Amino acid sequence: MPISFEHVSYIYSKGTPYEYTALKDVCLDIEEGKITAIIGQTGSGKSTLVQHLNALLLPEEGTVHILDRAITASEKPKQLKSLRGDVGLVFQFPEYQLFEETVLKDVAFGPKNFGASEEEAKKRAIHALELVGLSDKYCERSPLELSGGQKRRVAIAGILAMDPKVLVLDEPTAGLDPKGTEAMMTLFHDLNRKHGKTVLIVTHDMEQVFRYCDNVVVMEDGKVRTHTNVESFFRDPAACRDMNILPPALIRMKEMLKENGFDIPEDVLSTAALADCIARQVKNHG
Amino acid sequence: MANITLGRYIPLDSPIHRMDPRAKILAMLLVLIAIFFPAGWLGYAIIFVAASAVIIIARLSFSFIWRAMKPMLFMLVFLFVINSFLLKTGDPLLTIGSFTLYSDAVFQTLYIAVRLLLMVMITTCLTATTKPLDMTLGIEDLLKPFQKIHVPAHEIAMLISIALRFIPDLIDETERIIKAQESRGVDLKEGKIMERIMAILSLIVPLFVSAFQRAEDLANAMEARGYSPGEERTRYKVLKMEGRDYVLLAGAAALLACMVWLAYFR
Amino acid sequence: MSIVEVKNLTFSYDGTKTNIDDVSFAVEEGTYTTIVGHNGSGKSTVAKLMAGLLEKKSGSIMIDGMELNLENLSKIRNRIGIVFQNPDNQFIGSTVRDDIAFGLENHCVPQTEMDGIIEANAERVHMTKYLDHEPSRLSGGQKQRVAIAGVLAMKPKILIFDEATSMLDPSGKDEIKRVIKNIHKESSLTIISITHDIDEVADSDYVIALEKGKVAMTGTPHEVFSSVEEVRKIQLDVPFSLKLREELAKRGVHTEQHITMEGLVKELCRSRSNM
Repeated sequence: MPISFEHVSYIYSKGTPYEYTALKDVCLDIEEGKITAIIGQTGSGKSTLVQHLNALLLPEEGTVHILDRAITASEKPKQLKSLRGDVGLVFQFPEYQLFEETVLKDVAFGPKNFGASEEEAKKRAIHALELVGLSDKYCERSPLELSGGQKRRVAIAGILAMDPKVLVLDEPTAGLDPKGTEAMMTLFHDLNRKHGKTVLIVTHDMEQVFRYCDNVVVMEDGKVRTHTNVESFFRDPAACRDMNILPPALIRMKEMLKENGFDIPEDVLSTAALADCIARQVKNHG
Repeated sequence: MANITLGRYIPLDSPIHRMDPRAKILAMLLVLIAIFFPAGWLGYAIIFVAASAVIIIARLSFSFIWRAMKPMLFMLVFLFVINSFLLKTGDPLLTIGSFTLYSDAVFQTLYIAVRLLLMVMITTCLTATTKPLDMTLGIEDLLKPFQKIHVPAHEIAMLISIALRFIPDLIDETERIIKAQESRGVDLKEGKIMERIMAILSLIVPLFVSAFQRAEDLANAMEARGYSPGEERTRYKVLKMEGRDYVLLAGAAALLACMVWLAYFR
Repeated sequence: MSIVEVKNLTFSYDGTKTNIDDVSFAVEEGTYTTIVGHNGSGKSTVAKLMAGLLEKKSGSIMIDGMELNLENLSKIRNRIGIVFQNPDNQFIGSTVRDDIAFGLENHCVPQTEMDGIIEANAERVHMTKYLDHEPSRLSGGQKQRVAIAGVLAMKPKILIFDEATSMLDPSGKDEIKRVIKNIHKESSLTIISITHDIDEVADSDYVIALEKGKVAMTGTPHEVFSSVEEVRKIQLDVPFSLKLREELAKRGVHTEQHITMEGLVKELCRSRSNM
């Protein structure tokens, strides 16, 4: 069952002087079982788009299809709750949603809201904490005294504990250092590859898109500008620049080498492969 | 939040908008005092005409005033019910079974309704035409004489202006936290008592944590830029009273005098 | 001449755990210095100590020839401007104009001179058009530019940026990096930037790397990155040109150490035509 947007429009503050159309007739199919990056400039509608996935926002016009459900403007709030358990949405800076006395209680909060028993919720919480790499020695600590990176892991565990089929993350690595970013992205990659979850990531970081994602959706001015797989997306650095996107370092290096007469095939997509290619050409000349 | 009109600033350009906030605050206080004199219907009619004139000059619409009044209607209905049971003086107006409505109950309620309407009109004339920051500057200046008796005029004004500055940010923050918790299955509208309590806690705790973080950041930023409470500083915005400000004050004072005369010397 | 001299600085937030441990370094006047380190390495704490926002436990901090202590605090604050991470939480005024005025008011600048100073500094960060805008109508990058104008207006000798670009989107980051670079080029200001941005580090005059509250490495970017392994050990990112250099070396192609891709490409081109 793919996730799809059919002619979806969304307007903020409708009928007031602040009225603002954030999504304009968006049509989009998102592949299941893949990692999809949603990119675009601030204000292009990325966050608005993903908030439709668990029906935090209902389309003003059009339909969102997700997990056998069709969501339209007339959706009753009551039926939405179960959807929120199936589509886990992690907001930007999720550490600000922690509130319980202990890490374990906070992570178990989600499953309990969806009707899991105390015991079941705890079991799921411990499992989720394991997934994000926090051992059970953290369970009884207060979430507020952890480091920034750990807090974020706890917050993400809080969503994973609901065992969602689709995981949506809004700028999950904002404010993390390079090491923390890498660990976080590896986690999402594992959740997709080993646990079969469909993952959507809103991000500005092209290095991460290049290294970890399968597909990429470019939003621009409330519309989908491009939707393709990552490989072919970065094949055309000029088109990226045209969309105000700085391609990742490897692609920029390839571009520069090509301009200087090196022959770099399209399928060179890792530092090692690039080094191979260069080494051949530098030596071949000798 | 968007439909609260009472106390909201309306960015327009009018002679009233351009007046010195101190003159406007003082004039408002004088007229508010005037309303409390029992000057009778004639007195209230005079105040109503004066306030209406100011509203027209300020280019505000009367429907705006009416919307500001609306939340108080419930209170007035309640008051009318109480009055009709308690006040048994004046002429009997109508009888239903053993219950008789007397004219004083109607007049008394109407009297309060009119006073309330006038107060809303007068305060709206101030708040709708004065930027929040100008208001705090005005309050600061008016409180200055009281610094001698240790009223921290500047600190109070700084406190109000920072609070005003951060209200939109805190509203955004609240909306974000609500959405984040709804994504974790929180239902703010329904549920058993315990669930409701947890739902509210899941909003309030994060809101406090982030407000404290904000306060700490802000304190650092202010300190780093040389702010030190209680120390002398200059002020960028200087208020200046002009001819029209004195006219407004004189008008307000005349209105007050007129009410006193109507109430006691006629 | 060193405009900042930190000697044997120690600091603890809670009195038990040492967050800054015997840190010493110097910053030369007029340079662009970057302080790097992973989250929790103590880099922001060092910035706050330099600006006198935290009180050291022991050691000394000399700023522009003056010892940082309670007595000199306000004099030293006049020399140092600091721009913080969160664009929203350092915007104090209700409009751009009022926010720039805030620092001037604190420094008792006469009211009649303020407008001139505000406009001149708004010009330096290209915010003249937005002087009467409220913060809610500005982007993150614009708010940070206002913060920069606010500290510039106080004529500091040292500007500290405490991860000033980390909460911005790519275009905001570029915007602020450009503004900082221009300010450094035009003035004799000393810039100290705490950052994760590897390009900014490669572009700076001097790098101070912190790890677990201690100074792990110092030197020019060339010196610091001459040991890629050391850099990785303290969990920092390595410029792409150096990653590629490593891979090339494994394949018998040895190149000079370049911290920019342009440099590496140039050398590769040469060796290609020479051979």
